[in-house]
Amino acid sequence: MASYFSPQYLALLLPASVLLYAITPQRVRRVILLLASYLFFWAVSGSLIVFLLFSTLSIHHLGLWLDLLQQNSKAELAQAEADQRKALKAKAKKQQRGVILLGVVIHIGLLLTLKYSHFFFTNGNTLLRFLHMPAILPIPSFLLPIGISFYTLQAVSYLVDVYRGKIQADKNLFRLALFLGFFPQMMEGPICRYEQTAQRLWEVPKMQWNNFFLGSQRILWGVIKKMVVADRLNMFILSVFSGYDQYSGSVIALAAVCYTVQLYMDFSGTIDVALGSAQLFGVALPENFQRPFFSRTISEFWQRWHITLGTWFKDYIFYPVSMSKPMKNLTSKARKRFGPRYGPVLTSSVALLCVWLCNGLWHGSAWNYIFFGLYHFALIFAGNLVQPLVIQITERLHIDRNHLAYRIMQTVRTCILVCIGELFFRADGLRNGLKMAWRMVTNWSFSPITTGNIFAYGMDGPDLILVAVFLVLLFFVSLAQERGVKLGERLVAKPWPMRIAVYYIAICFLVIFGAYGIGYVPVDPIYAGF
Amino acid sequence: MERLLELLEEIRPDLDFETCQDLIDGHHLNSLDIISIVAEVEDAFDVTIPTVEVIPHNFNSAQNLWDLIVRLQEEG
Repeated sequence: MASYFSPQYLALLLPASVLLYAITPQRVRRVILLLASYLFFWAVSGSLIVFLLFSTLSIHHLGLWLDLLQQNSKAELAQAEADQRKALKAKAKKQQRGVILLGVVIHIGLLLTLKYSHFFFTNGNTLLRFLHMPAILPIPSFLLPIGISFYTLQAVSYLVDVYRGKIQADKNLFRLALFLGFFPQMMEGPICRYEQTAQRLWEVPKMQWNNFFLGSQRILWGVIKKMVVADRLNMFILSVFSGYDQYSGSVIALAAVCYTVQLYMDFSGTIDVALGSAQLFGVALPENFQRPFFSRTISEFWQRWHITLGTWFKDYIFYPVSMSKPMKNLTSKARKRFGPRYGPVLTSSVALLCVWLCNGLWHGSAWNYIFFGLYHFALIFAGNLVQPLVIQITERLHIDRNHLAYRIMQTVRTCILVCIGELFFRADGLRNGLKMAWRMVTNWSFSPITTGNIFAYGMDGPDLILVAVFLVLLFFVSLAQERGVKLGERLVAKPWPMRIAVYYIAICFLVIFGAYGIGYVPVDPIYAGF
Repeated sequence: MERLLELLEEIRPDLDFETCQDLIDGHHLNSLDIISIVAEVEDAFDVTIPTVEVIPHNFNSAQNLWDLIVRLQEEG
């Protein structure tokens, strides 16, 4: 089983799990979900399932340890004199901090070792060679268990939330195991929080036809996005990114746009399948996308794209760093020195830089990912700096910032900036990314597009038309969703014959226009590689 | 509450804090605004807003933020 789009998942594991779930009593349903989750993990990653089991056992144990320390501290405080309380509180916090530090070191350390040791050791050797020393560091190579970047963040958030007193430690190992390993979220997220999904999963709600249809519709929509659009663009993107020195700037620019579209269709399509699969069981996973290409700024884009990763970084890196005592003191001084607007902009940039370095590295162990993170840091930081100036200028020129034309201009600008970032994200290394960007500036020619030569690079005219038509359809669907229209629920409310007709058309569309079979190579979901 | 509204309008004069109920969910405030608001509120109302309280619900409207301030003041 390679992914959620493989026949083994769509035709075997998912339907079998749903069927067994539907016909068994409540207590057994939990077991079915857990077994299906471990079966999925094992089918994709084999014996590497031990890493998931280890993470589950360790956060269960560390959570209980934290809970014990918190209970002991409460008991001690209840009996202590008023003047002793401060010292007791500090002592308890120190102990709890030790446990949380241990948990973070174990989980992030494991992730760093498996995913990044190759990168760090390779760069270490490069540095040694630069210093005219022998490159003696051995280059390790590890197999990565599926979803480790996703479930590690879930594990850390669980522990930190217990430490903060936001949630209580879970005594039930199996509930925690299901929260961490629930198969629809395993491959590409969404990155769930314990309070969002754990209890709902454990309640194993009864199956409802409404959820069944809504979930199935969403899965179908996700499969169409992935197989009709994302996979169709793959050949063109592959040929341009692997041999960019043969193409002019316009082709490279088109490839960057196509890759941005591919990434969105691939990732959001996979998330549709994940959320749809969970909905079949009556479980609502958090949304991961909110029409990101309607964003007016890069900052807003990241509030709408991969939302659960963004909120994770915000809650566990940005706010803890920017609201730490030293940073608050610095902010206070900076506000006095640079004013109430620019002071926080400057000091929060420290936390922002931490977030974007982590964001870049989270996506992969290569310099182009780090550059991708720093690129977005620079854009957001610059956006924060110039925002007051833009407000001043537009007010002086009597420009209505809420006028449609102004909003469209902002949205187009944001989309262009995103596409440039994705060029570096997709490039085979930072050097190639920079060369591609340079070629876009110095070797621009429209002739491959005007002469139709572009259709020789892995994408023909009908491919392009099909993608364009689907994107127009998606635009109107997104526009309706932006206005609060729930299209999926509206469809479910329609009479049977109409629904069957829509499902039939959608399935025919997928069968006829899906990029599979001769001439196409199956494409693994992109984010599963992160 | 009046002092809070004044303070919020100083930070983001372009927003209507009296009526807006989805300051976070509607993407009107970003994380930088939150940092500024936390710093201003802590100074003005002599409270410490812990990280765990920085959640969308507490910042979605001026009223919710005011409720948080009152609660933190009561908790000492």
